[in-house]
Amino acid sequence: MNELIDPDWAWAEYSPSAQSPWDTRMAAHLFRRAGFGATDQELKAAVEQRPSELVDSLMSARESDAFLRDMKSLAGAAVATGNVKQLSAWWTYRMLSTPTQLLEKMTLFWHGHFATGGEKVKDAELMLTQNECLRRFSLGDFSKMLLEISRDPAMLIYLDSATNRKAHPNENYAREIMELFCLGEGHYTETDIRELARCFTGWEIRRGEFKFNHYQHDTGTKSILGKTGAFAGEDGVAIVLEQNSAPEFIASKLVRFFVMDEPQPDKTLVSPLATLLRQSDMLLAPVIKCILSSNLFFSPHSIGRKVRSPVEFAVGLLRCLEGSTNSFSLAESMDALGQGLLFPPSVKGWDGGRTWINSSTLLGRSNLIRTLLTGDKTRFAKQSLEDYFKATGLDKPRLVIDHLERLLFAVPIASAAKDRVESLMKSDNDSSFVDGIHALCTLPEFQLG
Amino acid sequence: MSVLTRREFLRSSAASSALLTFGGLAPSSLHAAAAANRSDRILVVVELAGGNDGLNTVIPYGDDVYRKLRPKLAISKTNVLSISEEIGFHPALRGFADLLESRKLSVVQGVGYPDPNRSHFESMDIWHTCQRKEEVRTDGWLGRMIETTDSSGSDPSAMHLGNDKQPLSLMSRTVRVPSIRSLEQFHLKGSESESFRSTVQQLSDSHRDGGDDLLGFVQSSTSSALMASERLVTTGKAYHSTISYPKNGLGEQLQTVAKLIGSGLKTSIYYVQLQGFDTHAQQPDAHQGLLRQLGDSVKAFLDDMDTMQQSDRVVVMAFSEFGRRVAENASQGTDHGTAGPMFIAGSPIKSGIIGKHPSLNHLIDGDLEFHTDFRRVYAAVIEDWFGCDSDAILKGKFDPVELFA
Repeated sequence: MNELIDPDWAWAEYSPSAQSPWDTRMAAHLFRRAGFGATDQELKAAVEQRPSELVDSLMSARESDAFLRDMKSLAGAAVATGNVKQLSAWWTYRMLSTPTQLLEKMTLFWHGHFATGGEKVKDAELMLTQNECLRRFSLGDFSKMLLEISRDPAMLIYLDSATNRKAHPNENYAREIMELFCLGEGHYTETDIRELARCFTGWEIRRGEFKFNHYQHDTGTKSILGKTGAFAGEDGVAIVLEQNSAPEFIASKLVRFFVMDEPQPDKTLVSPLATLLRQSDMLLAPVIKCILSSNLFFSPHSIGRKVRSPVEFAVGLLRCLEGSTNSFSLAESMDALGQGLLFPPSVKGWDGGRTWINSSTLLGRSNLIRTLLTGDKTRFAKQSLEDYFKATGLDKPRLVIDHLERLLFAVPIASAAKDRVESLMKSDNDSSFVDGIHALCTLPEFQLG
Repeated sequence: MSVLTRREFLRSSAASSALLTFGGLAPSSLHAAAAANRSDRILVVVELAGGNDGLNTVIPYGDDVYRKLRPKLAISKTNVLSISEEIGFHPALRGFADLLESRKLSVVQGVGYPDPNRSHFESMDIWHTCQRKEEVRTDGWLGRMIETTDSSGSDPSAMHLGNDKQPLSLMSRTVRVPSIRSLEQFHLKGSESESFRSTVQQLSDSHRDGGDDLLGFVQSSTSSALMASERLVTTGKAYHSTISYPKNGLGEQLQTVAKLIGSGLKTSIYYVQLQGFDTHAQQPDAHQGLLRQLGDSVKAFLDDMDTMQQSDRVVVMAFSEFGRRVAENASQGTDHGTAGPMFIAGSPIKSGIIGKHPSLNHLIDGDLEFHTDFRRVYAAVIEDWFGCDSDAILKGKFDPVELFA
């Protein structure tokens, strides 16, 4: 399928046409991918703008000082408990309430990229420091983010690289920076790993802070990826980043994140983005803007062609319906579905796509819907979902179904399925409303975003 | 579900070309068939994720090079659970030592594959798919095996237990394997209402256009999840056991497997994972805990199979994506290496040590050299336990290791 996509067409700016009109469906797609989802009001406002205006406003949105103050004090309270899970709850709350959805979505992307797990780091403050670093650079300078992460206490503790002596260099960080953070498997040799590991000798974490211990640094000559010299750790990071495969690797991952799970984008398709990334000195904003404004993004290759992650599934549902809930429980539920914030499964992060889906997670997703619909902690604009719909004039099952389809579904629902859900909602049963919404959100279509 | 017997398989037209390749292997597998009807046979796979330090699992304690390269991490002669004058188990592997004593454990030494990859993810993918990165990898060896045996509509052919994402080895193009965390979580909320339950089941069953794409995949997964949920809620209640399992992740998972087997489920493959073997730093305590968990849990599980009179149809296989570097690092840990031991346990197996411990004097880049391809162990399971042809499943011809009595 990839071979059929012309890169020039793919990355040219989308301009609405009769075949591909700019409507609420397109706008909902953009909100889902560049964030978590939009309310009815947000969608109505969005279609009054041009798509490029909406992308610009998503890219340049800023958090208010009041919001930042709130987040800071809540993060402080979470860190004070010493429990990283409280910090997951804090991040969940931030995703539910942030005015800057793209910034938060990209922070999540980089968390999956530079995956670091709280179960091993254990220190909530270090996890917060890393989270803030990822947010600071999430739409910014990849080179700076990479160097900062290479000395990030949480990362180095997670990768057992908090001590690095010249007599026995620890290869773990050297391996992962090439395999998972910059180049991808196959773009380096085992010798490159061993040589790069020597550059990082003397890099240590002491009492939660990065320290360079020059007594333990191997000052000898190293040969890495075709370059030879008495390289220090900073040089090692720079040499890795100079490789042609670095912008290709990052651009390819961004395409998969924003555009489609399958097929894996091929080199020809990614190449213009990689060039753009390199030409902008590894600044991320231009390439992200290009992707989100592109023909490919607003095409059937992209719409509904991703499996929702647990965060997209749960936070998306709530945001679209002005929902609020107990953030700690929600974070735990998302963890049970395979996406524990600050608890990724390994340094490789989340594979995404089809790997989100199995019997256990599908039943878990369905059960989470029921919990959100029936639990008294969850409110939609401060009321039950049924009352919320009634207040907005959606007083008939069919109206509710069509409304939810427009807001939440990237893939249309067959009319026979809608009829079936409608009759379930009309049945004379105390739980018929909940049963109907629950059945709708258990449809296979609901797993795609 | 019906697993093809070898005879049925040979009779089927698709297998006619494979007939020639069986060669002299038939007698041993016919012998094994006496133990239990093939269609009832069960394999429990235990994945040791992170790269188990094989050298401190089956320990060449008689070798001076071992102590020299492991000044801090070597297990002393007095502490190993001796198997022979050369090798012994880590002291935490009492469970495995007992199993070996009672003739229920086979240790295959020096297992690996050519041109080893030291990335966790790549190496695990190789073990799961039997293919290298250059090839298109859409399914795993167990997935391919159940494709030849699955008849949909009844119990799942294979099942994955635990919180981790489903292993690639269970992926199949046509059969969806359920993953379950616990039996309780497999209950669909609201399903007390028959109208709700039947609505979601029927809506998920109906075919969507484009069956092979993402939506088709989610649709068939949803449909089989709802079906398996209904089945499991009604089973699993029949299990009663007097065996006490270790109170840890692997123990609990294997007890769940025992419950499922006891409930009469016709599943033939169960897959569980034990994480944490990536011991780059402070290895001794972590590794000891993991090995104790492994040995004690597998021992309890097989004891349970004995009391349930199921032991003639169950074998357990444990593997890791690679062993670890022979020389320890500066953080009292070990880095990624290559060859390591595999373990196969159960009454039906031919107990003992298979193959030599890899030499510590002939290291390749500081790593052990493998002598037994892991696919030869898989081949034994596929051919001699399940009676299937292994060539297509393993994408090549591999001589089965003699695992079965």
